[in-house]
Amino acid sequence: MTQSNHPEGRNRFSLPRRKLLKGAGAMTAAAALNMPIASRVFGKEPHPLAGKKIDMSILGIAGWLPSSLGVKMSPLFNEYVKEKYGYEVEFAFAEAPFSDLFQKAATSLATRSQEYNIIISDSQWIGALAEPGWILQLNDIIAQNQSLQLDWYSQTVVDTYMIYPDGTKNIWGLPQEGDTIALFLRKDMLQDPAEAAAFEKKYGAKLPQTFEDFEDLTMAEFEKVADHFNRPDDQIWGTAMQYSRVYDFVTCYLYPFMFSQGGEVWDAATAQVEGILNSDINAKAMEQMKSWLKYQPPGAVNYGIAEQIDVFTQGKVFSCFQWAAVGLAMITEEMKDKVMVVAPPKHGTGADARRVYTMGGQPWVINAYNDQEKMRVAIDFMNWWYQPETTLEFARRGGNPCDKPTLTRSDFDSINPWNQAYKFMLEPGRSRDFWHHPKYAEMLAVQQEAFTSYMTGQTSDPMQALTYAACQQQQILVDAGSATIDPTRACITANL
Amino acid sequence: MAAVSQSGGSKVASPRKSLFDDRRILVLFLLAPVLCFFIVFNTIPTLWLLGLSFHNFSLTSGMPPEFIGFRNFVQIFYNKNNIWADLSRTFIFVGSAVSIQTALGILLGFLFWGSKNMPGRRIALTMLFTPMVLTPVATGTFWRFIYDPTFGVLNAILRGLGADHPIDFLGDPTFAYWAVVAVDCWMWTPFMTLMTLAALGSVPKAELEAAEVDRLPWWQRVRLVIWHHGKFIIMLGVLLRTIDSFKTLDLIIPMTKGGPGQQTRLVAVELNKQAFESFNMGFSSAYAVLLLLISIAMTSVFIYVLNLRRRKDSAAGGET
Repeated sequence: MTQSNHPEGRNRFSLPRRKLLKGAGAMTAAAALNMPIASRVFGKEPHPLAGKKIDMSILGIAGWLPSSLGVKMSPLFNEYVKEKYGYEVEFAFAEAPFSDLFQKAATSLATRSQEYNIIISDSQWIGALAEPGWILQLNDIIAQNQSLQLDWYSQTVVDTYMIYPDGTKNIWGLPQEGDTIALFLRKDMLQDPAEAAAFEKKYGAKLPQTFEDFEDLTMAEFEKVADHFNRPDDQIWGTAMQYSRVYDFVTCYLYPFMFSQGGEVWDAATAQVEGILNSDINAKAMEQMKSWLKYQPPGAVNYGIAEQIDVFTQGKVFSCFQWAAVGLAMITEEMKDKVMVVAPPKHGTGADARRVYTMGGQPWVINAYNDQEKMRVAIDFMNWWYQPETTLEFARRGGNPCDKPTLTRSDFDSINPWNQAYKFMLEPGRSRDFWHHPKYAEMLAVQQEAFTSYMTGQTSDPMQALTYAACQQQQILVDAGSATIDPTRACITANL
Repeated sequence: MAAVSQSGGSKVASPRKSLFDDRRILVLFLLAPVLCFFIVFNTIPTLWLLGLSFHNFSLTSGMPPEFIGFRNFVQIFYNKNNIWADLSRTFIFVGSAVSIQTALGILLGFLFWGSKNMPGRRIALTMLFTPMVLTPVATGTFWRFIYDPTFGVLNAILRGLGADHPIDFLGDPTFAYWAVVAVDCWMWTPFMTLMTLAALGSVPKAELEAAEVDRLPWWQRVRLVIWHHGKFIIMLGVLLRTIDSFKTLDLIIPMTKGGPGQQTRLVAVELNKQAFESFNMGFSSAYAVLLLLISIAMTSVFIYVLNLRRRKDSAAGGET
């Protein structure tokens, strides 16, 4: 309807206001009544939650940026569903530190509560959450939702965050945050010409400078770099790793020494641990990791993620083996131009040198006890999370997506300083996860105790610590009915 | 109820009987809320715990609890854990921490008792009692920072005093155990000071003055007058600290989590690990039952010793 320029009235052809309202009301009513027919005709069923407001709760990891991003980005989801499906969602976020999150989730889920509708789990917990039927198996949901049928960057992503038991096609989780270990370096120190000259003079080799230089670097070669920058008199040390007894800290940092040199921690098929974990390779790996303490600040035996961030951001260490997920915390505003992130070194020498580091990261899992409405929102949330624009936004805010389309974008490496290293480590064979067994927590607690006992010097023989862990874990698996091989007689005397 | 005289007669209305006139009902009525609370939050959970201790029940297995008789108890002592090492560590912890706290507490108590006119005494007392009111988790966390070899203030002081190398108080097996004991003492010595002040407050002034007039030496004054009147309060303080120290967990978790290795793994730390890290609810219940029995045994011995002395004292009083 166009506006008239008639001098006698504002609008000669305009309808009276009352008539217009009546007409509009009738049209709305007709539209509402005909909605189901129209929907069927046009193939669009109204969303069952249209017009409703749903309260949802996410349980995530306290102080873990990627975890909080899931919630910080939830207003975007709200806009999305409001526009697309016509309902609203209010998200609440519950959180607990890594070491307590499973306890919080498990005690709630064991009572069949829907207190947490969506949970950011750790990858190794999938078995413990799936086995009692606490979380939803996602195969059918993925089959019904095109957006969830993604092309993941590598099989490592699928094996780590989605599958339980290992080797099956049963999907229980979807990657929320991918994570690998990367090496954070002080670029300003590394690229100082005086340092390069001093290094060359001392070791007769060039100081590695670029990402490519570090791609082929071995631990033996990196040790020279760490040694070069290790200056305790100036309160600067060569590097920092994690040795803490908390949660899985020392385990995740010891495994690269073991895995890269051919060590194994168990036989997943037979659940045999004894004789596999306590091998000579693994004992040697423990010695090697302990030997790196000389390039680290005093007290490094208690270092976890937070302590590493502290020493790196305060300029106490030249380098730091750290999870890519905490890149934002590692590279503060004032360190922005002073840090480079590369792939961590290989273990071994010559052609046999290789790197197999531990996978980090967390999957989304969905509470199996959600009522119909919350389940529907949870699935809509997953569909939204894996929209290309959402994954890109996640990456831009500092998260690490796992889908191939995002990771293979030409600009992905430049979005965050650690992206190139993260993607490099996500390639098949460079990182791997460990047990997804329901007894994960119990097995982990035992070996954390054993590994730290050796690292701190309470146990002097690495094989003694490994044997203790292996025997205890073997018994745990036998008690759980997963292993048929009992611990041997040697286990009777195994102790720390 | 006042008697009401009726006009034209001598009939007096009998007072209306209340349900609470029966003393037993009144007592029961007054006790009911506490009893309900006690039954719901104490008796039932304890019985539940006892029942669960005879079952194999893992929170992560998804299986219902399975009755296994005494197998959990056998496992505690047989092959599952080194409980003897944990127990001995715990007893040493309790013995050393409570002894130091008692000695220092009594010393400080006497100091404050004897300096009633000291300016700033009240402020000093308030500051002294501050550690006791702090949450153990917070205390453990800030002491972890104080002990930190890189950023910690304690090492900064040691460096200032000329120490060559920083000491990793919580990471070095030589220091970790005693570093935790020291924090426990820092936190709970004020409690023993408080108990000592209460004990000293219970001593009759006249007896003290009489001892002074008699020119008794100080140690005899302490033994014959002060100790005679104050020992029960001090012993009660020791008993409370012993029971509390036996359960120490919230201080250790933020400081060492039982490490380095097993150096500070006390029984409560292991119990926490079994229940909330490994989710072995059956096994951890058996462990908890065992600790409960040990606590009851310790308390009983204490109370018996206290009563024995009291009986001896009253018998001696009767003879005179």
